[in-house]
Amino acid sequence: MIEIALNILAAASLWLGVEYCLRSHSAQSLDDASLMPFADDPEVARRVEQATGKTVKAVAPPAPKPGWGHLEL
Amino acid sequence: MRQFVVATVIWGVVGMAMGVWIASQLVWPQMNLDLPWTTFGRLRPLHTSLVIFGFAGSAQFAASYYAVQRTCQVRLFSDTLAAFTFWGWQSVIVIMLISLPLGYTTTKEYAEIEFSGAVWMTVVWVAYAIVFFTTVVQRKTKHIYVGNWFFGAFIVVIAMLHVVNHLSIPVGWFKSYPVYSGATDAMVQWWYGHNAVGFFLTTGFLGMMYYFVPKQVGRPVYSYRLSIVHFWALITLYIWAGPHHLHYTALPDWAQSLGMAMSLILLAPSWGGMINGMMTLSGAWHKLRTDPILRFLVLSLAFYGMSTFEGPMMAIKTVNALSHYTDWTIGHVHAGALGWVAMITFGATYHMVPKVFGREQMHSTPLINLHFWLATIGTVLYIASMWVNGITQGLMWRAINDDGTLTYSFVEALQASHPGFVVRFAGGVFFLSGMLLMAYNVWRTVRVGDVAMAEREAQIA
Repeated sequence: MIEIALNILAAASLWLGVEYCLRSHSAQSLDDASLMPFADDPEVARRVEQATGKTVKAVAPPAPKPGWGHLEL
Repeated sequence: MRQFVVATVIWGVVGMAMGVWIASQLVWPQMNLDLPWTTFGRLRPLHTSLVIFGFAGSAQFAASYYAVQRTCQVRLFSDTLAAFTFWGWQSVIVIMLISLPLGYTTTKEYAEIEFSGAVWMTVVWVAYAIVFFTTVVQRKTKHIYVGNWFFGAFIVVIAMLHVVNHLSIPVGWFKSYPVYSGATDAMVQWWYGHNAVGFFLTTGFLGMMYYFVPKQVGRPVYSYRLSIVHFWALITLYIWAGPHHLHYTALPDWAQSLGMAMSLILLAPSWGGMINGMMTLSGAWHKLRTDPILRFLVLSLAFYGMSTFEGPMMAIKTVNALSHYTDWTIGHVHAGALGWVAMITFGATYHMVPKVFGREQMHSTPLINLHFWLATIGTVLYIASMWVNGITQGLMWRAINDDGTLTYSFVEALQASHPGFVVRFAGGVFFLSGMLLMAYNVWRTVRVGDVAMAEREAQIA
């Protein structure tokens, strides 16, 4: 009996933990989060917007500094 | 980061060549060259160490550094410390490359590196954690992308596993004795061993999947909510599954049953993640016709689904009674290692190389396609031959006569396995050939890298 109670407790803890993590997320914020991999590349972001109809909040990468693109090989 | 990409390819070639060599030893025993340094017992741990820590490890350093900068929209915290992690990690692999053939080993599977090497490995790993987590802390985005959660869990849990499993009393630079003994030692080792698979060869690669699959498809992940459930369920469950490696041993029976039950439950998050990755292609399946990089990524997910179904089945005690200690286990490991880990690494590497070396695309797309087919054929030959061998061995070992004596001697089971060893060797040759094509393709791409374009592309890199 105690094993069944512990199993239910474990499953409930996992469910509550996940719900706690998601508590502050709306459908919109989850959508925004899922688009993050495209945000660094405005060109790809435009293609994703065309395909999905969602808006990618693309940001321009920071200006390059001396040595950033240096090929060491 | 570029250096880690190149190191991935180099250690992939060396580690897989080592695998093909030891596979040839099981076909032609004289391939051990009658030298102590090149016997199967010394080269087998070298093969696993090179492909796990050299190939898969370098791939995860590269992919995590690449993805964390892009999803956090900042540069890495420290270029100097990141460079230290590169040279430090390569030195760890070189220590393995030298010490294991010389016979210095803890004898613990996937943790063979002896005391001083293990301490140095910890130092490098802590530096990695500092670079990664400080970059996350300095992010310009509000949310931490789910791929980084997986990378973060991989870094934290591997540190814990490595330190606990390597706790030992040194009696020399390359000789130590574990602080555990008996069944406790075995349990700690397989808690580590199974989670080496669960966190070093799964969690980090899921981080890779959650970044590179959407990026290559050009679609956001199918369900972001499911990816969060996937994360918490996976890390909650994986850590308990280790005892299934110790069925029918001196480990208490309740611990064996716990390991079996947790392994079965683990099927749910594993398939949740696999389906989430696959469904990301919704509306974009046609891209598979023309994009061999995407083919690698999708096939890796298919093998991930297959091996995470096979694993829980093999963890069932009655199935394990047949499969354990046979080649079925070796086949299962390689379904994950070749089919999942290596395939997703190939896809991610082909995605990253042109970007970080300033090229529009890889030198040759047909070569990527050829690599895909060589890798697929090699994996299938490997897995199928080991299934046949494993079930043959399991059945022959358990067969008894009416008077209770064994029907077959061990050598008879070994002789019956020989055709399977030949097919496995052929599968390995196919897979290694694909890896060599990749090395050539990467070399031709890197050699003509355009500094100006790399500067534009690698403003974050």
